[in-house]
Amino acid sequence: MSQKPLELILARNLMSALSTPAFLVDEGGVLVFYNEAAGLLLGKQFEELGTVGAEEWGALFGPFDGSGEPIPYDELPLVTAVRSGRPAHAELTIRSTDGSDHAVEASAFPILTAHGSQGAIAVFWPQAENGTGAAA
Amino acid sequence: MRVKLWGTRGSIPAPGPETVRYGGNTSCVGVELEDGSLLALDAGSGIRTLGLTLAEEPARLHILLTHLHLDHIMGLVFFAPAFRSQTELVIWGPASPEASLRDRIARYISAPLSPVEVRELPCDVSFRHCPETEWEIGSARIRAASVTHRGPTLGYRIDEGESSLTYIPDHEPALGADLDRLDEDWISGFALARETSLLIHDGQYADPEYPAHLGWGHSATSHALSFARRTGARRTVLFHHDPLHSDEFLDGLGERVRADWVALGGEEGAIELGAERTEYELPCQLAGSLARA
Repeated sequence: MSQKPLELILARNLMSALSTPAFLVDEGGVLVFYNEAAGLLLGKQFEELGTVGAEEWGALFGPFDGSGEPIPYDELPLVTAVRSGRPAHAELTIRSTDGSDHAVEASAFPILTAHGSQGAIAVFWPQAENGTGAAA
Repeated sequence: MRVKLWGTRGSIPAPGPETVRYGGNTSCVGVELEDGSLLALDAGSGIRTLGLTLAEEPARLHILLTHLHLDHIMGLVFFAPAFRSQTELVIWGPASPEASLRDRIARYISAPLSPVEVRELPCDVSFRHCPETEWEIGSARIRAASVTHRGPTLGYRIDEGESSLTYIPDHEPALGADLDRLDEDWISGFALARETSLLIHDGQYADPEYPAHLGWGHSATSHALSFARRTGARRTVLFHHDPLHSDEFLDGLGERVRADWVALGGEEGAIELGAERTEYELPCQLAGSLARA
């Protein structure tokens, strides 16, 4: 296994201590970690799932827009952040492994370093009552 | 490869009768390669005495800085070879988005903190950001990687033949992490220290002291032991002693560390607390390679 960049290590360590659900992808878009709070939301802890390749992890948990339509992988905030190097935000619905849906707001931001992009982090909150469910 | 500890103290020099055995100088390790190349790892106050041992003849010297905290660069303006025109001095260090290595070091080597400016140094000095990829100095291959500390900080690995030295004097790999459970690729500094012949690693705090210093960028001794065990380092020297730790305190700490190491399944004699002027010949044998000059 190759050594992870320090910035990803520090991000994982921080996320592990948070009660806010959070996802971490590397510079290639591979899902390399999500925290315990995210595991509760998704119905499966990261230790059970392990890393998931780019293009694959989106489909595991939905996500859907306000109309119930699947959001294309390329339009997910986390993907936007890691590809464009810019923050992104969206309201979306995540489907847990037990079949329950969770309307959330997702904010993603890139991990930019002196050596370029190392990945991105997304954090989730329960969607506000008047949420539109539109993907950014 | 010959390795000599010229400064083992962290944070600030701690001279005095209570620190004569482990030493009061801040971080500096001298390395002499098989082809005669000379390296200094960090330029704490210990580099002053290293400089005094070097002959006054043309020389190319490399200083590898882990980071620019004062205890790691304070000896630069007292390094005698820097004041000789026949010296070529190459200073390596971490890149920063804020300013070049030269400009950041010049904040210290300039008024009002210093009587001389970088441009006034008589030697031929150059400053180089450590590359992301391995590079060569003399007969050794050098690798640098960012490690968990405050601010841009590197650890180094020096490979020469079958021997390797890993130097990570300021390191808090257990910050927010369980070193005993993490996959190895998620442990800060792991690749630098994997199965190294000699690991020189931060061990600033006794375990009861650590909670009051969480996030300060340094390790408790138990974290250093876990790191050494996970990486498979063949011999480990704990380094960057807290300035408040007397010889007497460090003697007691060393006994506990050795016992803990054996309890973890480590080889007896494979871990020790660094003492100033101790020398190691690599590849080192566990018995009999220790010498004090």
